[in-house]
Amino acid sequence: MVDIEVKRDRVVLRYKGRKWDWTIEPRYWRNTIFWTCVLLVFPAISYFVSPGLMNTMVSANIYAAIAIPLSLMTVGTGRINFGPNFYVGIGGYTAALLSIHLGWGPLATLPFAVIFSVVAAVLFSPLVIVARGLYYVLLTLLLPLVFLEVTFIYTGIFKGDVGLFGVDLLVQFDNVKLNFLAAAYISAGIMLIYLWVVNKVLKSRYGLIMATVNDDEEVAHGIGVHISKVKIISFVCAAGMIGVMGWFLAHYLGTFAGITYLPMTYMLKILLVFMVGGRAQVFGCVTGGYFIAFLEMILIRTMGSFQPVAFPIILLILLFLLPRGEGLFGLYRKRHYREYMPTIHVRR
Amino acid sequence: MAELLEVNGLTKRFGGLIAVNQLSFSIRKGETVGFIGPNGAGKSTVVNLLTGYLKADDGTIKLEDRHITHAKPWQRAHFGLARTYQIPRPFPELTALMSVVTAVLCGKQRVNQSLEDAGVEATQYLEFVGLFSKRNILARDLTFYELRMLELARALATTPKLLFIDEVMAGLNPGEAKRAVEMVMRAKRHFGLTIFWIEHVMAIIMDAADRVIAINYGQKIADGTPDEVISNDVVIEAYLGKGWRQYA
Repeated sequence: MVDIEVKRDRVVLRYKGRKWDWTIEPRYWRNTIFWTCVLLVFPAISYFVSPGLMNTMVSANIYAAIAIPLSLMTVGTGRINFGPNFYVGIGGYTAALLSIHLGWGPLATLPFAVIFSVVAAVLFSPLVIVARGLYYVLLTLLLPLVFLEVTFIYTGIFKGDVGLFGVDLLVQFDNVKLNFLAAAYISAGIMLIYLWVVNKVLKSRYGLIMATVNDDEEVAHGIGVHISKVKIISFVCAAGMIGVMGWFLAHYLGTFAGITYLPMTYMLKILLVFMVGGRAQVFGCVTGGYFIAFLEMILIRTMGSFQPVAFPIILLILLFLLPRGEGLFGLYRKRHYREYMPTIHVRR
Repeated sequence: MAELLEVNGLTKRFGGLIAVNQLSFSIRKGETVGFIGPNGAGKSTVVNLLTGYLKADDGTIKLEDRHITHAKPWQRAHFGLARTYQIPRPFPELTALMSVVTAVLCGKQRVNQSLEDAGVEATQYLEFVGLFSKRNILARDLTFYELRMLELARALATTPKLLFIDEVMAGLNPGEAKRAVEMVMRAKRHFGLTIFWIEHVMAIIMDAADRVIAINYGQKIADGTPDEVISNDVVIEAYLGKGWRQYA
């Protein structure tokens, strides 16, 4: 039986000889509540001030919601996956094909988008055991590109060149602005849920075990960590989460085209979010997502046709200037350092 | 004393090279066994075979009557084998405390132990090796001696029955080395360990070991008390070469 005990500062859960502690300390909630409020108020303000910003915010949330599971995958497998958009493609095409051919709505296609992404991840999960370094990078890099080729070869199914049209929309109001507002809130909701779940996992015992795999998997193996299990579970779970974003894109836009999400350009954008925000830092993914999406929007508005050149140049300069591996979030974290978990003080 | 580890006919080949050849020995509970041999004799390969990092081509390994020849390193850690490394291999991005916490969580299964409980237990191991005050420092920022002690604490935290120590003296100055050896012996008494100790410094092995096994070219050349092994002609020849008597 599950035994739950609520104490003054923590919730204790016991089940079959195992025990979990969750520290509840309101002093740690201040920043979380503040930034969640900002994210939730922002679309409402944009609705009245500048509706275009809502679209940028949706893009930012999507980037962040792909980069957050990618962080989990990176920490859990000890390798950087260079093809996270492969799972965006799997989730997106599953949702789009089911919606178009069977007339299913977003809620009906969601479980299938997740299942197909997870099945694809399970099929490719041996990669995280057998390949490392450059081989892993190349193999993961190739997956979305091969999938893109498949969409062109089987163009009757995937409509590789133009994309699939006629996917059921997530929400359908008469007012287009309201549709954007709803999409902004749904994307923010998914992103915040991902942020909360992944942050909780990384701060739990499982996150700590993942951190050992990330640091030195041979030593982790030697102290009793079943590294293959840890790597496969984190790889597959993260892939399923990324697949959901494919589902969201298909139902948000009413169309899904592999040519938009599977090429190198989209993948590089995700990896830049990941690097500029802070490598494998979950909160950095949100910072990076918003930074990249808004930078792109500002450059398009101010530089016009020069944007495709200026955008990568600015990002390259940032990658050189930002703290190595810590990104934009690293700058904040250095000034406001917090322990990985509350320090255990032993009276001596 | 009962047998803790039994090794029979252990063989490992790397292509045409036979690194370990039909090696057989046993370790009794509570013993400190020194494992010596000249450079390239196959000492570290044997430890890698025993801890599961390398697969044996032939032979069997039994731990307390349980065949572990084909067990993975994480399973062997659960059965009670732990090791330290010749060159310390910490988790550089984790603090000293967290490095030991993972070993507490992943070693022997404890009932009703949360992450916080594991933290409390880990502080005891850090206290034991003298690193309590360094518990919140990242492992990459520790000194070489502290890294050796952290490795010892991490190994102890898995609650091993048999601890493999790979050259605890390497890279330490004489004062640190003396403290490190004392610490290992104290851990043996305190936790009731059996120790399998690879060492190049013969003086240490002579003092610390109950029994010494010597190997050369992957084959056992001597097995006995430290005095017997050190005076064994084959062992001396392995270290000094065939013409050693002319210079004796």
